[in-house]
Amino acid sequence: MISLFRPLINGRGIDFDRMMVIVETKLKMDQRRVYMNWRQGKRKENSNHLLMALIFYGFLGLVMGSMIYLIDNFLTIMIFTHAYILFMMAMILITDFSSVLLDTTDNQVIMPRPVSSKTLFMARLIHILLYLLQFTLAIAAGSWLFTFIKYGLLTGLVLIITTLLAVLLAVFLTYFLYLAILHFSNEQRVREIITYFQIFMMVFFTLGLQVLPRLLDVIDIKQAVDLKGYMYVLPPVWMAISVDAFRLINFDNLHILMILLSCLVPLTGFWILFKYLAPGFANRLIALQGTSSKVKSKDDNIVKIEKGSLSDRISSIACNTPVEKGAFGFTWKITGRDRNFRMQFYPGLAYILVIFFIFVIRGKDSVAENWRQLPETNNYLWLIYLSILSVASSLTLVTFNESFAASWIYHSTPVKQPGEIVLGMVKSLFIKFFIPIYILLFLIAFYIWGIMVIDDFLFGFFSNMFCFLVLAILSDHYLPFSRQPDTKQQAGRFFVIFIQILLVGALVGLHYLLISRTLLLYAVIPFLILGIVILLRTIRALPWSKIAI
Amino acid sequence: MSVITIDRLCKRYDTNEVLKNISLSFEAGQIIGYIGPNGAGKSTTIKILTGIIGDFEGDVTVLGMDVRTHSLEIKQKIGYIPENAALYDVLTPVEYLNFIGRLYGMPQVSIKKKSTELLELFELGSKTDQRLSGFSKGMRQKVLLISGLMHNPEIIFLDEPLSGLDANAVILVKEILSQLKKAGKTIFYSSHIMDVVEKLSDRIVIINKGEVIADGTFETLQQQASSGSLENIFTALTGNQEHESTAGAFISIINN
Repeated sequence: MISLFRPLINGRGIDFDRMMVIVETKLKMDQRRVYMNWRQGKRKENSNHLLMALIFYGFLGLVMGSMIYLIDNFLTIMIFTHAYILFMMAMILITDFSSVLLDTTDNQVIMPRPVSSKTLFMARLIHILLYLLQFTLAIAAGSWLFTFIKYGLLTGLVLIITTLLAVLLAVFLTYFLYLAILHFSNEQRVREIITYFQIFMMVFFTLGLQVLPRLLDVIDIKQAVDLKGYMYVLPPVWMAISVDAFRLINFDNLHILMILLSCLVPLTGFWILFKYLAPGFANRLIALQGTSSKVKSKDDNIVKIEKGSLSDRISSIACNTPVEKGAFGFTWKITGRDRNFRMQFYPGLAYILVIFFIFVIRGKDSVAENWRQLPETNNYLWLIYLSILSVASSLTLVTFNESFAASWIYHSTPVKQPGEIVLGMVKSLFIKFFIPIYILLFLIAFYIWGIMVIDDFLFGFFSNMFCFLVLAILSDHYLPFSRQPDTKQQAGRFFVIFIQILLVGALVGLHYLLISRTLLLYAVIPFLILGIVILLRTIRALPWSKIAI
Repeated sequence: MSVITIDRLCKRYDTNEVLKNISLSFEAGQIIGYIGPNGAGKSTTIKILTGIIGDFEGDVTVLGMDVRTHSLEIKQKIGYIPENAALYDVLTPVEYLNFIGRLYGMPQVSIKKKSTELLELFELGSKTDQRLSGFSKGMRQKVLLISGLMHNPEIIFLDEPLSGLDANAVILVKEILSQLKKAGKTIFYSSHIMDVVEKLSDRIVIINKGEVIADGTFETLQQQASSGSLENIFTALTGNQEHESTAGAFISIINN
């Protein structure tokens, strides 16, 4: 298909044959790259990840597209459809394609070969467009299909055009975002931001799958969108109105304006991208690569080490031995910097929001009504024990790391009691993750229920700590960051999760029995503390024979 | 005839001048050792000569062609093997070499034959279907070497080519370079391993802080610096004489 454009491309400083070699190779590499980086779990090396990603997005697209059939208000559903396409394309570009956009491997592999920069640029552009076309089809085909069925050929064709324009706009906006970040910051910052977007993507899908079905019961999306003045600056609104113009064969001033905006803004943006942004972006990346170590930004990979860092200060209070303190600080720092850990751990915290949402939005009552009745319930118990469910996963996640081979250090240093390392790790996770979340949930509960929750949250603190230490004892005793991520992470986890749920359930049950019996609550606390002390000692005393390698 | 001429070459990154007025010229069929401390400007020089960096001051010609205006023609005739270069990890070595060969415009039959035979020669014959992501550093370096040489270039630019190679591979590569030189190829070799540079090079250029501080045969440099090995010459000329005191301080600190 691209060969049809050979006369157009060849001879403008572009070597068509070499360009096609690059495009073919990049398309081959696309099939092997891992997609949906925000998904957890091991992916097989020889699987066609691209195809699986397309199927996934295609399924989503079909679900979203079916709403065109179900919802009669055309403008509403078209705004929703275009917003969805714009959002999904931007997210895919950022989360899945960023590695390609930011990749400077071409500079090392291709630039030393007899390939002109124009040839390479055109090859990259065609590659990106082909990539986008595949994902556009996956995301939007469902919407196109249902529009054709319900509204006819003309409307469907116009929707295809506005979809493609939305994609061009998404490409322009994403490139612009990257360039802006690179201009004010550096490549490392771009990668950090991509990580946060990927975390956001995971949280979005986690919440979306749980929350959206419930929201749909509550919000009447069949109602027409009441377009306010400021909404007319939104591209999904332009495009929706443009499609509507052709559906109704209505070309009044407003519709003409919307059609012009829908066409001109994305096309102009893409022209700016082609002419100025993309070459500038590439040059910026080359410049970042080409600078010597002396002229690289001081921010690159430099960690600000403050005197008496927070982890050092806390470890001096929370830990007893140098080994424990070392493990505490080590765990604290790496969990804050390791991308994979953050990608897997933080989205799990989203479930706190999900469960909170579930017990607020219950039954047939409205959100407001549920919220009003909340202080009359004992649902703050959920808040007390929610945090432990999410934070417990850190006990397993902390054992994995891409640089797991660096764990040779544990075995080459004269550590007599590796339990001290495990204990330092456990304390670090509890203090760093559990306590801030618990405090936040306490503040929420205090806001809703008032002073009555203080006793229960105090009790809950010790019972959660007890629970966390039990889970630490029950888990495999791996040292922090000592396991290869490719190992079967899920093996045995179901059992551990089952025990976690049983344990938390038992604690919730116990606490429920003690609600409103303040004296009993306080009477049980010393027993919990005693249990905690015993568990701490047990963990500390773990010998090498009990450590998993 | 000079195959490489560099005339008043200057390169800046922002306010930092990494190359300061370098002028050199090299004849065909030589092995040129290009050495210097980290940050001296070695890699930048090579990237300019290989047409990767086009933004510089001064004049540079390779094989009689200006690198600014004839970079494609130059790239067709040179090979470049950088240190720790990135590869397309999801490709197998055969796929990667096929890709590179096609970029050089080599016939498909020739690519297949050469890549198969060269991989076999480097004991990678059993790994042809394995992705590069699973290759060790030494294996990747071998693939890099093949990719930089299989189109039979006239000038070869190497940046730490022995990095990560096992002992047998090191000996093999050194022998390959010697035979390439005998075949009339020009080899521009940058390395930190002084004894290899000393033994291989017909001419040695020492660069420090963007300037050429020594240029000549090993014997000439020996006389200039009144020193024995290239390592001593390098130390004397780059002014970094503090190794002994630094080592002493290191021992002192760990003993405390």
